[in-house]
Formats: sequence, structure tokens, C-alpha cells
Amino acid sequence: MVDQVHKEFRRRDLLYSGALWLLSLIIPDPQLHYRREYRFRKRDLFYLLTILLLPLIWSDPHFHHIMVLGGIHGILALGLTLFLGYAGQISLGQAAFFGIGAYTTAVLTTRYGLPSFLAFWASALTAFLFAYLIGRPILKLKGYFLALATLGFGEIFLVMVRESPRLTGGVIGIFDIPFFSFAGFIFDTYLKQYYLIWGVLMGLVLFSKNLIRSKMGRAFLAVAASEDGASAVGIDVSRIKLGVFVIGAAFAGLAGSLFASVMSTANPETFSLNLSVLIVMMVILGGMGNLYGPIAGAIFLTYLIDELSRYQEYSLPIYGVILILLLIFFPDGIGTRLRIRLIYLISYWGRKRRREKVEL
Amino acid sequence: MFLSVEEIVKHYDGVMALNRISLQVRKGTVKGLMGPNGAGKSTLFHLISGMERPDSGKIFFKKRDITGLQTYEISRLGVGRTFQTLQIFGNMTVVENVLTGMHSRIRGGFLSSGLYLPQIKKSEEIAIKEAKEILELLGLFGRWKWFASQLSYGEQRRLEIARGLAAKPDLLLLDEPAAGLTYPEAKQLAQTLSRLKEAGLTLFLIEHHMGMVMEIADEVAVLNNGELLAEGPPDMVKKDPGVIEAYAPRR
Repeated sequence: MVDQVHKEFRRRDLLYSGALWLLSLIIPDPQLHYRREYRFRKRDLFYLLTILLLPLIWSDPHFHHIMVLGGIHGILALGLTLFLGYAGQISLGQAAFFGIGAYTTAVLTTRYGLPSFLAFWASALTAFLFAYLIGRPILKLKGYFLALATLGFGEIFLVMVRESPRLTGGVIGIFDIPFFSFAGFIFDTYLKQYYLIWGVLMGLVLFSKNLIRSKMGRAFLAVAASEDGASAVGIDVSRIKLGVFVIGAAFAGLAGSLFASVMSTANPETFSLNLSVLIVMMVILGGMGNLYGPIAGAIFLTYLIDELSRYQEYSLPIYGVILILLLIFFPDGIGTRLRIRLIYLISYWGRKRRREKVEL
Repeated sequence: MFLSVEEIVKHYDGVMALNRISLQVRKGTVKGLMGPNGAGKSTLFHLISGMERPDSGKIFFKKRDITGLQTYEISRLGVGRTFQTLQIFGNMTVVENVLTGMHSRIRGGFLSSGLYLPQIKKSEEIAIKEAKEILELLGLFGRWKWFASQLSYGEQRRLEIARGLAAKPDLLLLDEPAAGLTYPEAKQLAQTLSRLKEAGLTLFLIEHHMGMVMEIADEVAVLNNGELLAEGPPDMVKKDPGVIEAYAPRR
């Protein structure tokens, strides 16, 4: 009889460990929270294949559109997570860099007829330069003061866009921005745009991943943990902060450029404080100190907002309640907590079954 | 002179923290800095490492005036330090803490790191090997995969020294390295420090453990209320009436 029980255990254990393995493939590892992420693991391959195959399996144009928006938000969140999740600084002005990118592309392609491929890089460069000029004085501030200063920058950007109609079209904005095209290939359907945006996002994830596992990533974490400690080991704290800020802004500029060429319009309402807060929300909900979490958060929130828009005037309260609940139950990101809870549940079931068997 | 502090004055809103302090540290020696609480010891370290600016006076390191330099510049010139209140990076593993200490010695900027060029990979690999050696020296090798925040207090203190050593400093400022350690731990630390001294490192340490200072220091300076009370070999300082008065005032 003992043998029988033993065999039973083995099969069950196999089942549970299979489930755990599957889980480890999909959901970020809580131990990886804040740890350097290595180049390629099984999980990365899984994500890559999912992203590549998903739109083919689920070929609904609306879904493609949501994923295009989610990808753009993902780029924004990725840029911010380097700044917020790794270097521990807060920025509420991310939407402004997004806007700078979008308007650069809009102006360059509609007024000067520049190819959108060049405008794409020009947008990143413009956002980069603006971030550099603003970052130098602003990044001396810490905590709430930094949040307020970046928030102020976002508002100033909006006012400037609204008040210079000649360049930006004022409140009305700019229309008929051509679709992104490269070497004669025009990204005019949602499916093509999906691959464009997720391709860019993958490149940026790779870049960020490399950054995080090199000495720069360690410097980010060091600045977040202790600025005194960081400077005592020879890290130029202000340079590191400026560097992360500028990289995040360049990411946002790229996202803005893609947004302008996907949506074909750019108007100031899009780049308000709402968006900045939304990006911060994505990073926090997805999980800080993790590169994939914020992207998951971006997809989730984009999807949620789209779903809720059906309920019209009730959408905002429902949205708020959901966010509050998530922040209560998953304070350090959906990904990180979910895994811990699922592992706990699975091992609990395993133990329970085993106990029952032994008692018999 | 290796490190030379000249006529340093520092006050905080009327409190005189350091009043015209001058002292020297010779290359390859261990200098102890003692004094009651609030004597200005940590302030002196903050001034040397550039975390604060002196009101007047100059600090020279290897004949270079380092008085208004930034902390990271002074660190890159070869002055490492640890802190009285631990400043380890709890969000990283132990080995990553040490690797962070090597920051200025590992190659690469933002762009080359982001692209992970071959040279970056190479210097990372060398650095990891070296970091493990340093951890071995301080007896933390078994913990290298742990998060720094998971270590015990004594281990965190040692980790901070390891991180300071990783930068290959010429002078290491240790701010109460034995504070909060148990007796055997402090003894072990003293051994490690004397081994570092044999390896040619110059140490300047603040310490309250009388025994430890007497054991490893070549020279001792005593501060009290921002004034330099005594300076010289440990045996002489121990007998100085002013020092005895400061530590055990007669009622």
C-alpha cells in the first residue's frame, strides 16, 4: 500500500511541478525583481513567439488596434520604468516628451515632406535634446519636488502647443500625417502597424535589458538605493540621472512619432497630464524593477480603458475602483504578486491532497 | 604627505564642528581617529570624501588639492569610504554591490552598454571574477547570490568594506567599521584590516573599540568638541591626560 501511495505522489508531483514550470515561463519571477536580467531565457522566447503569433491567431482588427495602442503605451512605460523602477526617480512629464515626438513627426512630414522614417529618428532626437536641456536643472530635485517640476514642464508644453497655432495647429492639431513607410512599404493596416510597433518595442526591450545588466543598470539601482553610497564608489549621480531621464524621453519621443503616424493626427488633448499619470500607473501596476511588467501593465490598462468606454459615463468610476482594488491587492505589480499567490495556491493544493492520502 | 588636512574649519549654524584641524596620514599606515560622540569625526570624513564643503582650510591627497571636488571625483582619485549608517544597495545582490564598487573601473557608457558590445562583455566577466575574490577576502563568498538586504548587520558592514575595496582605492576611510559587531566579529574584522594593511593599503578609521585601534593603528588622533586633543602613537595617546579627561571626566 505504501508503494501505491508513493507512486500516486509522484504522478501528482509531476503535475504540480509541470504547472509551476508553465507558470515560470509566463509570469515574471519575483526573485528577478530588481535583479539584472540576462540576455535570453525560455521566458523571453515565449514572449517573443506570443507577440509574433498572437495577431495571426486572433485576427480581429479591433484587437490589433488595441495592441497597437498598447504597444505605444508599452514603449512609454518601458522608458519610464528605467527612470522610475530602476533609478527610483519620478516623472510626471512623460506625456510631454511623447507630445514632442508626435509633433516633430507631424510637422516634419506634413510641412516639410520628410520621409516618416527620418522623422522617426528626428523625433527621438528632439525629445532627447529637450530632456537634456530640462533635465540638467530639474534633476537636482528629489521626490515630490521632482514630480512637481516634471508636472510643470508637461503643463508648459501643453500651453506652448496650444498658443503657437502656426507651428502646431493650436488646439485643433495637425491632421493627415502620412502612415509610417520604409523603402516603399507603407504600414497602412492595423496588422502591419502591430508588427511595426512591437518590432520597435522589442528592439527597445533588448536595449534596456543590456543596459540593466551592465554597469549602467547597477548604477541606476545604486542611485535608487543610496545616492551617498553611489557617489562614494565613484558614480556621477547627476550624470546617471540625466542619462536615464534622457533615454526615457527618447523612448517617449519614438513612441510619439509612431503614435502620430499610426493615428494620423496630433492634438494637444492627447498629451495632457492624464496620459502622464496613466504611464506612471502602468509602471506601478505592472511591477517596478522589471522590464516586462510595465509592458504588461500598458496592455492591461489600454484594454481596460477600451472595454470600459462602452459604459460611457460610468467608465471613470469603474476604472477608479478597479485601480484601487488592484493597488490594494497587488501593491508591487500584478506580475510579481500573481506568481507568488499562484505558487502558494498550487503548493497548497499539493499539500492538501497529500495530507488526505496519508490520513487514509 | 599622502593625505594632508590643513587648518580645516567647519561649523553648522554656530555649532563649531571642526576648529582649525590639521592632520596627516602617511602612505601605507593605519591611522585611527577617536573621540567622544559629537567630536566631529564623521564630519571630518564627510569633508575629506567631498560630501560636504569646509568653511575654510584645504585638503590635499597625493599632493593634489581635493577641497572643492565632487564626491565621485575624489572617489575616482583613489579615496574609498564606508559609512557609519550603512549605505549598502539593498536592491542588489551581494556580488552586484561589489561590482557597483568597480563602476569607474569597468568600461562602457550608456550607448555601448545598451548595445552590449563585446568589450563590455569582456570587462564584465573580468570584473565578476575579481568581485568574487574580494568577497572571498571578506568571508562573504558563500553569500554572493543573496540580496544585500538579506544579510545580517555584521555581514552588511563587511559588504560595505568589500564595496569600498572594489574601487581599488589608495586610501580607505572607515567610519566605525566595528560598530554593532559582536566581539568575535570585531576580532575577525581587525584581522582582515591588518591583512589589508600588509597589502599596502592606507587606512584611516574612526573607531570606539579601544582594543582594536590599539591593535592595528600606527598612529592615533583624538578629537573632542572640534579640537584636536592629541596625536601620536597609540601608547602615547593612551597616557595623554587630556584624552583621559575627555573619555573619563573626573567629577
